[in-house]
Amino acid sequence: MTDAQTPPGPLAGLRMLELADEKGQFCGKLFADLGADVIKIEPPGGERTRKLGPFLDDIPHPDRSLSFWHYNTSKRGITLDLQTADGSGIFRRLAATADVVLETFRPGFLASLALGYETLRPTNPSLILCSLTPFGQTGPWRDYLSSDLLHMAAGGEMASCGYDEADVPNAPPISPGGGNAWHMGSHYAYMAIMAALVYRQVAGTGQYIDVSIHEACALTTESAIPNYIYRGEVLRRQTGRHHAPGPTPRTQFRAKDDIYVTALIAGGLNPRNVKNLAELMDGYDMAGDLKDPRYQDPAFVTANTAHIIDDVLANFIASLPAEEVYHAAQERGFTWGAVRAPEALLDDAHLHDRGFWKQVEHPELGRSFIYPGEAAIYNGSPWRISRRAPLVGEHNTEILCSELGLSRGELSVLAENRVI
Amino acid sequence: MPLADKTMSQPQALANVRVVDFSWVRAGPWATRWLGALGAEIIKIEWPETERGRLPSSTTPQHLEVNLNTSGNFNDTNVNKKSLSLNVRSPKGLEIVKRLIAVSDIVIENFSSRVLQKWGLGYAELCKIKPDIVYVSMSGYGHTGRNHHYTTFGPVAQAASGLTHLSGLPDQPPAGWGWSYMDDTGGMYGAMCALTGLYHRNRTGQGQHIDQAQMVSSVPLNGPSLLDFTVNGRGSRRAGFPPGNRAHWPGTPLVNNYRGPTVAPHNAYRTHPGDYNDWCVIVCHSDDEWRRLVRVMGAPAWAAAEKFATVAGRLRHQQELDDRIEAWSLTLGKYELTERCQAESVRALPVQSAEDRVEHDPQLRHRQTYQAMEHPALGVHKVQNAPFSLSETPAYNHLPSPLIGQHTREIVEDLLGYSRQDVREGFTDGTFWPTNRDRFPYMEDMAR
Repeated sequence: MTDAQTPPGPLAGLRMLELADEKGQFCGKLFADLGADVIKIEPPGGERTRKLGPFLDDIPHPDRSLSFWHYNTSKRGITLDLQTADGSGIFRRLAATADVVLETFRPGFLASLALGYETLRPTNPSLILCSLTPFGQTGPWRDYLSSDLLHMAAGGEMASCGYDEADVPNAPPISPGGGNAWHMGSHYAYMAIMAALVYRQVAGTGQYIDVSIHEACALTTESAIPNYIYRGEVLRRQTGRHHAPGPTPRTQFRAKDDIYVTALIAGGLNPRNVKNLAELMDGYDMAGDLKDPRYQDPAFVTANTAHIIDDVLANFIASLPAEEVYHAAQERGFTWGAVRAPEALLDDAHLHDRGFWKQVEHPELGRSFIYPGEAAIYNGSPWRISRRAPLVGEHNTEILCSELGLSRGELSVLAENRVI
Repeated sequence: MPLADKTMSQPQALANVRVVDFSWVRAGPWATRWLGALGAEIIKIEWPETERGRLPSSTTPQHLEVNLNTSGNFNDTNVNKKSLSLNVRSPKGLEIVKRLIAVSDIVIENFSSRVLQKWGLGYAELCKIKPDIVYVSMSGYGHTGRNHHYTTFGPVAQAASGLTHLSGLPDQPPAGWGWSYMDDTGGMYGAMCALTGLYHRNRTGQGQHIDQAQMVSSVPLNGPSLLDFTVNGRGSRRAGFPPGNRAHWPGTPLVNNYRGPTVAPHNAYRTHPGDYNDWCVIVCHSDDEWRRLVRVMGAPAWAAAEKFATVAGRLRHQQELDDRIEAWSLTLGKYELTERCQAESVRALPVQSAEDRVEHDPQLRHRQTYQAMEHPALGVHKVQNAPFSLSETPAYNHLPSPLIGQHTREIVEDLLGYSRQDVREGFTDGTFWPTNRDRFPYMEDMAR
């Protein structure tokens, strides 16, 4: 089916102006891939997130950042210096046409340019303006500097991630990589904006939204906060598994190909799942002594937990490639998974069945590349990558002239004066 | 003035939206918790015999009996909801739930892929009951694809999707995520899908099935690393990856590690008095920031060395740099170090445990992130609030988590129009509570 025949995404018809760096570009992508017209407004020369590697063929260039590519799909892009009178005037005109403005500047910056919510609202009362910032618009840390690592520290992620002392002595708390503080903030910002949009459908009015990345991260450590609030417990870090008040059995085992397998036994060991394990392993002649009828006695299972896990289970996993363990165990109802490097996902048949991987054209390069696809399949209004990330100022003419009505001459003057 | 008093006079974004919530354990309930905070009426369908989320409980206060109503984690995960205890696998229970769906906007569940269909509540059936229903399924692997029947917990979705691999020290086992990150984040996606589907329905009149999958939702979170492979052919099973807390591991090829700019210092450092969570992270994004850090450290002689003056030099001599910084950081408490650094515009923040966040974090205190709320069985405890404020329609926690079946009569009689007699019979015939199970005292009124 061609693009023209498929229905538009669920957010078609919605216009968002995105004034966002690494903190909010993912939120913009979530809107853009679901059909919103997201116009990314960058400073002349391009947003500094374009300077982040890795780059296409390791050649640094604002149009070759793979990080920028991923986080800015389906958006259009213009350049505009908001700190000039002409630039802020153009922004005001664009804001009058927008449903949502998403901004990640330091608190007070937009207001200092007379572009804050109070200034924009009179001409567009249904506007939703969302500020997504490290700590929110108020409070003692409001003006603190941050980074992904800093948020993972203060948000509590690091206090929960690390190693058993026996595995890595004196290990620091570990921050998972990948920029997930920005993901956490962007997910909550998306939710808040969508709620405001639904309210606007009913009430007709817009509103101002203040999202704090620090709070988003502090909310994303599952039971750590309840464990403290209800029981006063501070949790310990453990290798590749849940934080806990005291030691729990390991769940991560090295397979034959040196890839690890996360092998959890739901609800702990009991005669029923030991029998199940024995059947799984017996298919490979690796059941050890688990077929011994004494394992049908719960007390015997408890007394031999260390043997079952550290000898029989560990040996079984060590004898096979991780992917084989993963699929064989899942087919038998065990909730296990291979610890894959991201690139291994390209070979995942299930993701192929779901049409997950997308070919995205880069016409200026005459090439297309594979991108990750949708988190969820919308059966009535599909998700799609409608275009690759914009080149620097790619849609200046289209948006400023064709849509906003500036003449080519005015555009040239703006360029000469570094407004765009 | 407490947040709730100030905001309760304002409208709610999702007022008049009703959600039939079949979800259990963590990811689904985390999704509907937020829809509830935004004002939707969340009706949680539960059955004590098959319940997962209330039990087993490792967060019941030490002085209370562990039972279906005393899990602290359940309370925090299920505020803003009502509970209907209902045997959906009985004909009468199924009829009642269908009447409920007929007057609702959203159905949300996080069972394995074929469960709702087996109950006779697949998407096609839901459409017959409520043609514009927004149906959000939140399974491990989704409803389509050959592995749809696989099961997940957060840690397994994280492993199979590549997220676990991003966390750890090089040449060590993966450190992974010390909690079910993808239960939290899967919950986010569930709520995001529901809101998006609702917006689309309001605009077009069309409902739809949104097939969200925990493992699949994890994959795009690895975007730059995936593109480094699909575009440049560079995999992430390589020397120096993952680089611990650093942007780059010394002595390995210099490449971007998908956590921001490649800079040093970029690490966690021990602070005084050196206990388990006495750590601070410090990052310098530029030579200017490094010079400011040097001033904060009191301009020690070692820091004036030419080899530390540039980012290239600091990356080359990172181990020595980190050792030197830690010798200084150990002389200060983590909050004092943070304040000194941030006063000079140096990026530093403390590693914070849950206790730190609840008791010591001045920002979270100012933002009223944890607010006391009374629960009938647990008493008064702090509950986590939304990380966003909406000026016209604030999100806030307005109901403690429900006792199991607490709202059964209210929903069945007042909302669905069954008679008092029907409610009583439902308790006698096992529709609203198993006949062979002791009832909680608050059920006796409904059963009489």
